[in-house]
Amino acid sequence: MLDLKLEDIDGILVRYNVALEKEMTPDEAAEELYPKDELIYPVAKAIYEGEEDDVVDALKAAIDAGKKPIALIDDALMVGMGVVTQLYDDGIIFLPNVMMSADAMLAGIDYCKTQTTEVPEPKGKVVCHVAEGDVHDIGKNIVAALLRANGYEVIDLGRDVPVDEVITAVTNEKPILLTGTALMTTTMYAFKEINDKLLEKGIKIPFACGGGAVNQDFVSQYELGVYGEEAADAPKIADAIVAGTTDITALREEFHKH
Amino acid sequence: MAYANADDLLFGQSKFPVKAGLGLEIGAGYTSPEVNYAPRPQAGKSKDKLVKEYERITTDIMARMVQIGAPSVVLETEHVEQMSNNPEWGGAVAHAQKTIMEEYHDEYGIKCALRHTIGDIREDRDYLQLRGDKYSVFIEAFEEVAKNGADLLSVESMGGKEVFDYSILRNDTAGILFGIGVLGSMDMEMVWKDISDIAKKTGTVSAGDTDCAQANTAMFIAGGLLDKNLAHTTAIVARAISAARSLCAYEAGAIGPGKDCGYENTIIKSIAGVPITQEGKTSTCAHSDLMGNLVMQCCDLWSNESVEYHGEFGGTTVQCWSETLAYDCSMMNVALKTGKAKDLRDILVLSDKFRDPQGYVLAYDNAYRIGQAIAKDGENNYLRAKNAAIECCNIVEEGANSGKLRLTRFETSALAKVKADLEVLTDDADKFMSDNLTKFKQEVAVFRPENYGL
Repeated sequence: MLDLKLEDIDGILVRYNVALEKEMTPDEAAEELYPKDELIYPVAKAIYEGEEDDVVDALKAAIDAGKKPIALIDDALMVGMGVVTQLYDDGIIFLPNVMMSADAMLAGIDYCKTQTTEVPEPKGKVVCHVAEGDVHDIGKNIVAALLRANGYEVIDLGRDVPVDEVITAVTNEKPILLTGTALMTTTMYAFKEINDKLLEKGIKIPFACGGGAVNQDFVSQYELGVYGEEAADAPKIADAIVAGTTDITALREEFHKH
Repeated sequence: MAYANADDLLFGQSKFPVKAGLGLEIGAGYTSPEVNYAPRPQAGKSKDKLVKEYERITTDIMARMVQIGAPSVVLETEHVEQMSNNPEWGGAVAHAQKTIMEEYHDEYGIKCALRHTIGDIREDRDYLQLRGDKYSVFIEAFEEVAKNGADLLSVESMGGKEVFDYSILRNDTAGILFGIGVLGSMDMEMVWKDISDIAKKTGTVSAGDTDCAQANTAMFIAGGLLDKNLAHTTAIVARAISAARSLCAYEAGAIGPGKDCGYENTIIKSIAGVPITQEGKTSTCAHSDLMGNLVMQCCDLWSNESVEYHGEFGGTTVQCWSETLAYDCSMMNVALKTGKAKDLRDILVLSDKFRDPQGYVLAYDNAYRIGQAIAKDGENNYLRAKNAAIECCNIVEEGANSGKLRLTRFETSALAKVKADLEVLTDDADKFMSDNLTKFKQEVAVFRPENYGL
């Protein structure tokens, strides 16, 4: 077969990912971000490494040494997860690392809950769903994991969720944000219906939509819609809301990229 | 292996051409466009609206093909869920489309065929439901379209996806292999035996599948060069495994052409000699990939993946994209007639071969090696999938060592992890099955072994 000389390849394509790769390894970068407290450090490191058993062992050690279980959620588990999300946002680690860390963090929260009667306070509540008629849920699962990883309580309604079930959940749960994902253009029209029914009830919460064939033009057609191009936009939208930006126009200004 | 060596793999030529539809022979020395489309969402409100939409789409494509002098075309209708859940809807659409295509064939002699790809409706809200009532409707959907004008029968089946989705997001190599190579293959064997029986009964063509639900999910999560969601070296291992899985259709009676989004199709062509459809630079209307030219290398039909039907400056979307496809096919057909086909093939390959590890492995010379690894243990679904994965790792390593395929450190370490995971896996398929059944029954709440007769 024909072939290219090594020196000819650069004129045909550029591997920008190779050219721009950070010098520091992920482990080195994480090491710089871990908290220094000798009881918290092992929890954060175990979260980064996605090792559920190590997280629980480190929590046990911290509780035995006098740390309060409920405080460890914010001071250790969330701090460890913060390291992970920062490394992900900086392009140093990849999504599977975040997913495994999120699993480990949730195992840690479950353990802390068994060690106290106090109830942890989440940053806010988010209702997630996949559009009615659509069973493709990997995107929603990523969104839910990233939201939990960022300290939000997620009410996960699952996939193929009837419009009225979404409305009921929003009415009952009073979330700060509703998310909807869809793979297909044929199912994403359910988002408009949800928008209209929420407005009929006088509920005006941001409705972050994305996935597959969903695009910014479509989401901009209904009043509550905020388009999220990446799953990682969901916690950022939630953070913006918690920080006080609840106006849809302002959220669109920040998150609509096209 | 259907081909004695990789260099014999070429576009427009397959070892076993397939006659289909109205005068068409696929893989018999020429390429044809295969146009794919989606109705506007609101068209699915009723059967009548949907049939009318597909009539407009079909007429637009056939008219444009005649206007530009294209000698042949295939239309692919990927079912919206209403058409598969209500098999008579699918039948009505197939009948309406074929009627129009026959009119064009009769009047202009244009060679054409109609593919219907049934939606894999075998799931309910919470679980895959691969067997049982949903399966009956699914099979009925094939029968209805086959009886009403569809020439080529296809599906993008989803067996194993529940385990795969969990595993790919956790870098679980055994889970990826179990989801695609074992569970996916088991489901394929059942589905494609039944589709092939329908094709025999109705005089239609049992065409083929694609691992869209899994390998394409990996490719899309992996994304572009700067995306940070999945190592591209992991995504290509999933793709290599998918070839072992998609091959099951042809072992169960399918004869091609394989589905467009099966980027594993070159590997399959090398083993089974069946014609294949591919998509690349012409499917940017649906998604991005990193091998837009390369993937044209061995296609027999050339596709645009899917485009929503609406107006553009140059006509409707289906007119614009069918025209683009037809000109690409014209170029390939000239190359075939003038003895320049292998040169064109190699130019297409080299323009993308070093862009990304995925394209590197799917380049026909390397794809052929994956084919050989699968064929080595061809009778064992697990071992052949594992072989494909290991050979894929070897190919990427060799490419990196040559200096031509440049990997990031992250891709290199992800590759090393996958390879190390594979090397410690058992060679005993029964043990692998038993270990992973136990593991995923515990870890994946939506995994139901009974979906696979287990």
